[in-house]
Amino acid sequence: MTDRNNKNRGTSNGEKPADVRFVRVPSIAERKLGTDYVAPMRLDPRVLEQMQTTIKGLEARYGDTLRDQVRTLLTLVEPACGGDTEARGRLYAIVHDMRGLAGTFGHPMVGRFANSLCSYVESAGMDAWRDDTVFRFHIDAIREALDSPGADPAITLETLNALQKLIAASAAERRRMG
Amino acid sequence: MIPRPTNADPEFFRKLKVLVVEDSAEMRRLLAALLESMGVEQVVEARDGLKGLDAFIEHKPDIIITDGAMQPMDGYEMTQRVRAAGAVEGANPDVPILMISGHVERENVVHARDQGVTDYLPKPLSASVLYEAIVAAVSKPIHFVETPGYRGPSPKRHLAARGIDDAGF
Repeated sequence: MTDRNNKNRGTSNGEKPADVRFVRVPSIAERKLGTDYVAPMRLDPRVLEQMQTTIKGLEARYGDTLRDQVRTLLTLVEPACGGDTEARGRLYAIVHDMRGLAGTFGHPMVGRFANSLCSYVESAGMDAWRDDTVFRFHIDAIREALDSPGADPAITLETLNALQKLIAASAAERRRMG
Repeated sequence: MIPRPTNADPEFFRKLKVLVVEDSAEMRRLLAALLESMGVEQVVEARDGLKGLDAFIEHKPDIIITDGAMQPMDGYEMTQRVRAAGAVEGANPDVPILMISGHVERENVVHARDQGVTDYLPKPLSASVLYEAIVAAVSKPIHFVETPGYRGPSPKRHLAARGIDDAGF
């Protein structure tokens, strides 16, 4: 069922044309539904509503997971900043997980604090682990956001700004130390 | 007159087989639950790109949903290998690949596109973004380019992270 138009791209300077072929494959709906398929496929609001209900249903369970993860983070900071590479890997994996999931489950500020900490580790590399200050402040902010989900957004944004300043100060210190 | 089935109804999604490649157990659980809400009954899970490649060959999915950063093989390399694979043992190299990633910076999206990713979905994921991406992936004809060692979406096309303004951050 595949249509193939062999269109070799020539060049103006006489080089051998690149072997490029353009291919049109029927959509999955065309293949699965055959003549029953009528394009375009429309979004069904009932399906979307069911998906949103599913997320709501998983939220409580994820809240418990987040609390466990925060407790684990607190135990990992000291060994991670003391040189334990396994602890570093576990700490980063947990925060990376939070960055990706917390927002989906109604904890956008937890996601933002986790994103801030992940970005710090990703940009500072090994230097990030020299000092635990940035980690401890971020984990405290995550815990606060988790314990007070209805907190004033202005305050949480202020906290985020303060964390960014802390990261900037840490970067400046690293540059100063060479 | 016999009414035709609604295209996006669960009857259609029941026929889909989706491979989820994701290292986070929580994220796999979320994706499986959301797909089930859509009516998808066949969800195959893999924990990293290497296991994802094995599952791609063994299960021949209609769609792959993958994370970006994973160990030992990430979603970018897995995508590149799927697009380079050709029709390995009957597996479908034309499979749409949806990448879900927290790294929505331009260079990451461009890198994903260059490996052959079909669509790029930002984390945190929303139900509407996932639903829209899957409906788009299954309903549109697939236009691919084929060069030696690559068969997939054109690496020259424009690709941006889907619904980024609604992503939460």
